[in-house]
Order: sequence, then C-alpha cells, then structure tokens
Amino acid sequence: MKYGLFEPRKIGEMAPATKVVLYTLLLAWSLFVIFPIYWLVITSFKTPAAVNEGPFFIPWVDFKPSLHAWRDLFVYDLADTMRAYFNSVVIAFSATVLSVFVGSLAAYSLSRIEFAPNLITILYFVLLLIGASVAIGVYGADLWLTLAIVVAMFFLLARAVGRLYSVRLKNGDILFWIISQRILAPIVVVVPIYMMFQSVRLLDTHLALILTYAVVNLPIVVWLMFDFFNSIPRDLEESAQLDGATMIMTFREVVMPLSRTGLAATTLLVMIFSWNEYLFALFISTSKAQTLPILVAAMNAGERGILWWTMSVAIIIMIIPVVALAVVLQKYISKGLLVGAVKG
Amino acid sequence: MNAETTDLSVAAKGISIREFNKYYGAFHALKNMSLEVSPGEFLVLLGPSGCGKSTALRMIAGLESITSGTLMIGDQDVSQVLPKYRDIAMVFQSYALYPHKTVGENIGFPLKVAKTPKAEMDAAILAAAEQVELETLLDRLPGQLSGGQRQRVALARAIIRRPSVFLMDEPLSNLDAKLRGNMRAELKHMQNSLGITTIYVTHDQIEAMTLAHRVAIMKDGELQQLGTPKEVYSNPENLFVAGFMGSPPMNFVEGAIANGVFTADGVSLPTNQLSDLSKVTLGFRPEDCTVVEKGQGQLDAQVFTLEMTGDQSLVTFRSGDKSMVVKMPKDFEIEPASYAGIAFDASHACFFDTDSGQRLRPS
Repeated sequence: MKYGLFEPRKIGEMAPATKVVLYTLLLAWSLFVIFPIYWLVITSFKTPAAVNEGPFFIPWVDFKPSLHAWRDLFVYDLADTMRAYFNSVVIAFSATVLSVFVGSLAAYSLSRIEFAPNLITILYFVLLLIGASVAIGVYGADLWLTLAIVVAMFFLLARAVGRLYSVRLKNGDILFWIISQRILAPIVVVVPIYMMFQSVRLLDTHLALILTYAVVNLPIVVWLMFDFFNSIPRDLEESAQLDGATMIMTFREVVMPLSRTGLAATTLLVMIFSWNEYLFALFISTSKAQTLPILVAAMNAGERGILWWTMSVAIIIMIIPVVALAVVLQKYISKGLLVGAVKG
Repeated sequence: MNAETTDLSVAAKGISIREFNKYYGAFHALKNMSLEVSPGEFLVLLGPSGCGKSTALRMIAGLESITSGTLMIGDQDVSQVLPKYRDIAMVFQSYALYPHKTVGENIGFPLKVAKTPKAEMDAAILAAAEQVELETLLDRLPGQLSGGQRQRVALARAIIRRPSVFLMDEPLSNLDAKLRGNMRAELKHMQNSLGITTIYVTHDQIEAMTLAHRVAIMKDGELQQLGTPKEVYSNPENLFVAGFMGSPPMNFVEGAIANGVFTADGVSLPTNQLSDLSKVTLGFRPEDCTVVEKGQGQLDAQVFTLEMTGDQSLVTFRSGDKSMVVKMPKDFEIEPASYAGIAFDASHACFFDTDSGQRLRPS
C-alpha cells in the first residue's frame, strides 16, 4: 500500500511530512522566543567595548565575559537599584492583592445577584455632578454648600423622577461598563490622574501607584472572575446555605476553593501588568516611588549614551520574580486557560 | 442499612402549605397551592417539566421567596425564615457535592458548619456513611465515584443532621435505569426507618407511584389532584391526571351523553345516572380492556402495532388521529392492519367533561 507524505502510517501517529513541518515551525518559534533572552544574558556580561564592536554571540570565544555591568548596578548604584526593586515589589504586590480582592467580590456579586439600576437616576446623578463641578470650578461656589445641595437634590429627584421612569440596566450592562474602562487608552487619562494626585499631594508615593494600578486592573479581574464564578454550579452554594452556612462561609468553603484556577490566572495576569507598567509610573513617580521599568528606561537616555549592558542586567533581575511567580502559580492553572496567553 | 437506624430518628414534623403563590414578574408560576403534609409522610410532587413542582420545593426550602401564602413546619411559621434556620436537608438533582472535598468532608459539612466537635463529627460521619454503605470510600473525592455512589454521598449528607424535613429534587433522574430501581427501594426503606417527613419532586410517575404515601399531581402551577397512588391512578379527578398517570396512559374516546347514555362513533354505553352533556370524554385503562373479534366489543378499530414488552403485549389501535392501547398477555398475537374489537369493563370507565376536563360524577 502506498501512503501519501501527509498520511499517517498508523492510527494515532503523525504523518512523516507533518512531523517535519511541525518540528521546523516549533524550532523556528523557539529560536524567535529564546534568542532575545540569550542575547540579553550575554549582553549583561559584556563590556561597553564588546557591545559596541559586536555583534558577538559566544562568550569566551567572541568576547571575554565581564561582571562590569553587574558591578555598576549592584556595587556603585546599589541604593538606587534596590529602591526601585523594592518599590516595584511593594507596588505590584499591593496593587494585585487589592485589585483581585475587590474585583473578585464584585464579580461574585455580579454573577449571583440581579442588579437593576435605574438609568434615569444614573443620568441625573452624572448631570448633578457636572453641574456641581461647573458651579465650583467656574463660578467659585462654596464647596460644602454645593455638595449639600447636590446630595439633597439627588435624593429628592431620586424619589420624584426615579419612579416615573423605569428604564433599568442589567448585569450585562454593568459588566460592559466596567470593561469599557479598559477601552480608554491610559495616555488619555494620565494627565487628569496626575492632577488628581497632585491636588491631594500623593505624587511620587507608593499609595498613588498602588491605587492607580489596582483601579486600572479592576476591569480585567472582574471580567475574568465573573466567568469563573459563573461556571460554579449554584446548587453547591444553595446546598451549603441549606446546610447552615453563612454567605461568607459559603464563599470561603465552596466558592473560593473552586475558583482557585481562575484566581491564580488572574493574579498572575494582574501582577505582570502592574510589574511591567511604565506610563503611569513615569508620570506619577519621580524618584522616591520610582519602579523598575522607569529605572530601565532611564538607562536609555543618560548623558553617557544608551547603557545596553546595565540595562540588560536590570531587565534580567526584573524578569526573575515574574517567572518565579508563574512557576508557583502554574500548578493551579491546570486548565491552561491563560498559561499560553500571558507574557513573562 | 443498619438496624440501629430507628434509634437515630427524630420527632417528625408536619408541613403545611397555605395558598402558595409565586410570580416571576408577570408570570404566575405557582397558583394558590395548598397542601398539608403529615409528620413522617412521604409526599411526591409529580408533574411534567415546567409545572411549578420544583419552584414549590425551592419555596419550601427557602431558596425562592414566597410571593404570597404561608408555610408552616411543625407549628412554626417559616415563610420568612432563612433556609438555614428551617431545619431542612435537600438532595439536588445534580447532587451538589463539593468537588474539592472528600466524601467524608462532604458528608460532615453540615456538622462542620454547626461547629460540632471533631470526635462527635467523625462518629456521625461514619454512622451516616455506614447507613448508605460508603464507609470504605470516605477519603475519595466525588470525581472518583460512580453516579450511584455520588447519590449516596448526597443522601448521607442529608441524613447526618437529622433534619425535620427532607426535600428531594429529582434525586434519581441522573442514574441509569437499573440503579434507579435499586435506589428507589433504598430510599423508600430509609425514609421509612428514619420517619422524616419527605417531599420528593419528580416527573417520573413510576417513582411517584412506588415511593409516595400520597401523590400531588401538578400542571401549569396548579395542584390537580392529591391522593394515595392508588386513588390518583384509579380515580383521576380530571383528564390531565388520567392522561398523565399510567404507562401507557388512559385511552380516551370523545362523545356525548344523552338520556344517561354515552354515545360516540360506534360506541353506546349506559352511564351511571350522569346528566346529559354534549361534549364528554370516556376514559378507560389499557389493562381494563381486552382485544376481541371485530364486532364483539364496545368499539372496533384498526390495529396499528403490536409491542412485546416481556411481561405483556401492548396492542395499539388507530382510528383517525386517535390511538388506543390495550394490554394483553405476553403471548397474544394479532396481525397489524387487521380490524378488531375492544371490549372493556364499563364499571371501570371514567367520564370527563371534555371542555373543563373535570370528572363527571353521578349527581
């Protein structure tokens, strides 16, 4: 019997030609992915001269490895490096915890409770807010007096108008509104956010960055966790309820253990976003709260030219914690939902 | 099952459902349902899907609010009481086992919630597991069990707390036919020995007939008939119950009553002092009639099929768009498409008002 090149020889086996094509593609892709990391590592061990005269690829053959860049960062500039490192760890970790905590509670309530906010109420709440802003900002009205009037008007109108119109939003609308916050490019809001933190004197603090990252990542957490919570059968919670468990206990004993996979994936994703974030950090932090991405970027624009060697060292130490976290969380992400989708 | 089960039983409580109503928006899901369940009774709510039986059960459990009406468990009004304070255990169709907990942890969960001391809890878990013959599987996860074993875990979790009421929502419908039969017998035995008041929801009339002390048949959110399995089977109150109970269900012939005599196409049957009515349906059970030579019975029809089910033969007749089934002994033979007569015992026949569906009784 004659087989085609793309026909398997046995059931459950791969055809020879398929095998060749597949492995070629995989090999090419691996090179594409691994080479930059290899290049990064060897560059960190090069002297400025070796970088500029290059390209050299093989240590001890092409060039003589040197600890020059590592010494620069960890001996001469140790304080700066460690501060940025510490800042990044504190900010990314706190923002992730805050975001995942608030976001999963929001997602859980959205998946379990039917909300029905009145559209008209929301609209005139926004109108009142705009009116108050104009009154205070343009006409210099007294802040507290305006606020008092706005609150009073809101409740009066809520009773009077809210009953007349009954256009109600649904959970899907709320969810879309939350995710729509992510559609906005960060560059659009970075200046208002800068001014906001300026007015409350929080510029260049950990708190400012933690809050910003937590809020920016909230939509992702809500969106992902909503799906995970929805996939947990309600029977389980109802059964726990009948057996006497409180809502908190049900959440802790039943819902949380079952959404571990989702939580691990979401945590990893949010952690990576916060860890790598550049734009907000650039605006909000100047020196005290400076994070690693800013440190790396600064090496791009010093008066000594682009410091490829120290930059490589900084990037390597920046990659390590994320990889470590991914390895730790990987055993929870058994379903593999996001394993291939996240960047490390 | 253990002999000591009776020692563990508690004083059973009755349930009283008074004028239950449930609206979902404008949809009236449950219409004015009233029902008294006596202590220790096994009551089955039976009906086709969407008839409101599960809604009624979930209202009793407290998982759905009661739009209007009162629910009493024992002598306590629990209409507005949270599910966990109603002292109820429920077995779900999906079993609702916690996949991340072992069999032992699943069974012990109600006690863990109640903060029972460890030693006492372990003893109770073992006792409950022994009752459903699961004591060797306590360390397994639900995912490693078969369907029947999962069902037992759900049962053990329900009985461990000795609730005053059991609620079961189609607990056997995910099992294969043979296992269902076994579990049915075990369920009945267990309920009997524990003596706990039980409300059981099903769409399977065999389950209802075999398990229930009394059956409540529902349709479109309305209670159709309440009675012992025997009563609802042999004395249906209306056309729906008559057509729902029994497999195959009752045969119907449409006609009219004039001068106390029911007449239809080729049928003429004296009724027992029923008043005249122009649209009447005659009903008789497949086992209350026999196939006879053409012209010998009350009516004639063409044979459509003959089905041998093992213990009996079902002869289906077709006339127009109506079909009628007759149960015959297993060795009965008849040629399909031939004509034959159907003879039935007139004393077992039921008459219904075709328009309202209500049973006609002698005035």
